[in-house]
Amino acid sequence: MAQLKNIKRWFWWHRWTSLICTLFLLMLCVTGLPLIFGDEIEGWLNPTHYADLPKDTPMANLDGMVSVAHARYPKQLVTFIFVDDDEPQVLVNMAPGWNPDDPLRHSLQFDSRTGKLLNDEPPFSKKPASFIDTMLDLHRGLFIDLPGELFLGLMGVLFVISIISGVVLYAPFMKKLDFGTIRQDKSRRLKWLDLHNLLGIATAVWLFVVGATGVMNELSTPLFGLWQITDVKAMLSKYHGKPLIQQNELSSVQAAYNITQKTLPGMQVMSVVYPGNAFGSPYHYLVWTKGNTPLTSQLFSPVLVDAQSGKLAAVVKMPVYLRALELSRPLHFGNYGGTPLKVIWVLFDLVAIVVLISGVYLWIVRRKFYKDYFEQMAGSELTEAYPINSTHETKF
Amino acid sequence: MLLSVLILFGLLAALLGTGIWYWLSWLAMIIPLIVICRKIWKSKAATKINTMNY
Repeated sequence: MAQLKNIKRWFWWHRWTSLICTLFLLMLCVTGLPLIFGDEIEGWLNPTHYADLPKDTPMANLDGMVSVAHARYPKQLVTFIFVDDDEPQVLVNMAPGWNPDDPLRHSLQFDSRTGKLLNDEPPFSKKPASFIDTMLDLHRGLFIDLPGELFLGLMGVLFVISIISGVVLYAPFMKKLDFGTIRQDKSRRLKWLDLHNLLGIATAVWLFVVGATGVMNELSTPLFGLWQITDVKAMLSKYHGKPLIQQNELSSVQAAYNITQKTLPGMQVMSVVYPGNAFGSPYHYLVWTKGNTPLTSQLFSPVLVDAQSGKLAAVVKMPVYLRALELSRPLHFGNYGGTPLKVIWVLFDLVAIVVLISGVYLWIVRRKFYKDYFEQMAGSELTEAYPINSTHETKF
Repeated sequence: MLLSVLILFGLLAALLGTGIWYWLSWLAMIIPLIVICRKIWKSKAATKINTMNY
């Protein structure tokens, strides 16, 4: 009887945690599908034609690209430079001021090998959101940024609890059956219960990993905020009171790029955040780098280069919680093992959708079904301690 | 249990390695999906046979 009580308790957790999060999880699974192939879809919808040059063509000078950007917008500030590792492009981002939500923020796209301006894009606020951006905004935060992210993080926690409780319940629910049995010839409810159990248990680890890493990703804003008010603040405290650097006083951004590459030869520069940017340092170029191996390519390391002298100031050590966040990204998006892994991710996602829908169906038809089930389970507990594999028939 | 280990291996293999590890990752991850398809197909086939016998 104690065992039955325990099962009922787990069942209660499984039912309610699943029910509360199901609608949102369904939305996340559906919006997650196009995001798995987000880069490819974006490439098809907005193709960029690059000059046909040898693969090992070196990168053009960043200072030249910044000069072109300044010449076009002399009253604006360069906020950061993004160096794409997938496509031969460099994006120089500009804005009239340092307000991170400035509606006139925009970017200029350059060919990274020729330094030629390819596209002077309109301000982000005036650009219609692409299909992938819309899916991502909905998937990440229900279009309401941080509150939505935290809410979906909470839904993710419930999902993880429902997976754990589902795994715990699997054994007592299926102990009289061979693994993966689907009783097609019994009632429709039993068929769906068996299918729900099979799909759930066979993909439990994937569901757990994607759910837990999803929660971690939803916490990225507060985690980066925590890092900024603790480690970053402490690191920049020695510069406190120094006057802010104006853009016309800055040292060469190409030199900052070069010194970073020279100091960290195994690393690749991803972006350079300009001094004054809310997401950087007031006195340094913040150069974000990543490694070249499969694992280290997921781990980003910031480097501070003094924006006046051009000297390397520090290679910043990231805290463990941000390392965990970085590792959780590929494990959530499935974009780290080539196209076949993405296809597998899509298939797992479809399985997750069936698990969720079957779970809702089982709840709708719940009453008599589970009443009978627990009565039968109580009966079998009274007659035998561990009625494992006694029969493949279930007496519903 | 075996399926869980396979998925875990598949998730980590592609994260930590490249080349052959990618192939092993894809293989390990596809097996649970094949098992699911096989179980569903088997149960449907069994139902068909039962119906015909009946």
